[in-house]
Amino acid sequence: MTSLREMAPDRLAELRRVGLSWRSSGQASLHGPLLRLAESLDRAFRLLATAGWDAEEERHPASLPAELLQRVHYLHSFPHQATFPVRLQPDEANLDEFRRGPVVDPDGHLVLTQLAPTRDVLTPAACHHLYAQHESSALDAPLYLTTRNTCFRNEPYYEPLRRQWSFTMREIVCLGSRSEAIGFLDRGRSTVDTLLKHLGLDVDWCVATDPFFRPLESPQYLMQRLEPTKHEAVYGGDLAIGSANLHHEHFGENYSISRAGEPAHSACLAFGIERWLFAVVDRYGVQPESWPDPASTMQQMVSATGGQWR
Amino acid sequence: MSSDGAATARTALREWILTKNRDLDQRQLADDTPLFAQRYLRSVHLPELILLVERLRGQPVDVSDLTAGHFRDIHTIVDLFITGTNDSEST
Repeated sequence: MTSLREMAPDRLAELRRVGLSWRSSGQASLHGPLLRLAESLDRAFRLLATAGWDAEEERHPASLPAELLQRVHYLHSFPHQATFPVRLQPDEANLDEFRRGPVVDPDGHLVLTQLAPTRDVLTPAACHHLYAQHESSALDAPLYLTTRNTCFRNEPYYEPLRRQWSFTMREIVCLGSRSEAIGFLDRGRSTVDTLLKHLGLDVDWCVATDPFFRPLESPQYLMQRLEPTKHEAVYGGDLAIGSANLHHEHFGENYSISRAGEPAHSACLAFGIERWLFAVVDRYGVQPESWPDPASTMQQMVSATGGQWR
Repeated sequence: MSSDGAATARTALREWILTKNRDLDQRQLADDTPLFAQRYLRSVHLPELILLVERLRGQPVDVSDLTAGHFRDIHTIVDLFITGTNDSEST
């Protein structure tokens, strides 16, 4: 059962004053200074994507078909994190029965009648849409993409800005040859390090694994242990605010994406916007005037190199 | 384990890897060839590889102890899991 991990009351009150509304479902609403900072962070990451690799922006829905996610066995690997969008069976008798009922009980639980078949999963990671979108592509050059989505993950507990049921993820993805994917990650990490340095945020890059269900039974988990492919930028010793992930041919093979006649390799840089908010507030306090402007910082980094990162 | 046992294990591992890579010239597969980094083996092969190593060493492999580099190449696998001459298995 999910629980809420309590943040120190004074810290939560401070965050409320700068634009955080925290819901008992483990979700955050943002407004005011925190929302402006979140948007500035996202602009910084988009600028990183376009200045670094001329990445094409894509926008995708809140959910994607389970059949597509299962190409990479997602629901076997992470069933505990999945959230499914359900709908009432749309026949009028069923809808009438729903309306005649309590609809919502005193505990706030929906009292559902018959449900329509569920085919979708709420987006668990923004980049999954990109591989599905480019299914059956034959690439004659590396493909760089970026997207942002609200992602949903069930967690054992929730904590404002640090661990949420829904959160905002910006990703930059490379689909290409093995060397192109590795080169993308190397340059990406280096640039993110520079951004972090300019923003005054100290992180350690740590080897990590994804949170597989029954990990010791998962070949993919054991593979990540044996041949590390995931590195996280960890702020404050325990908060991963970004990650650099090498997927090898995992997505290329399962979505029939090729590069020079071979299954494409892929890699992604992922940024959890709310966690960056936490890091900035933790580092600079709750006076918005003292916060850095990430988008301006990134723009200055681009300008300093004459805009020629590629 | 005797040097004969180690040699037998190397041969068995080599032959098994070649069955997974029919197009691979066996002269390209050295004892220090990075098996996963070169993509000769992938995660889908891991369960079978672990069973093979367990058969060759005559005892189970504790997968909770596996960590980076343990299955890097034939040489490392034999040293760590067959002859036990490399003490990094417990790290």
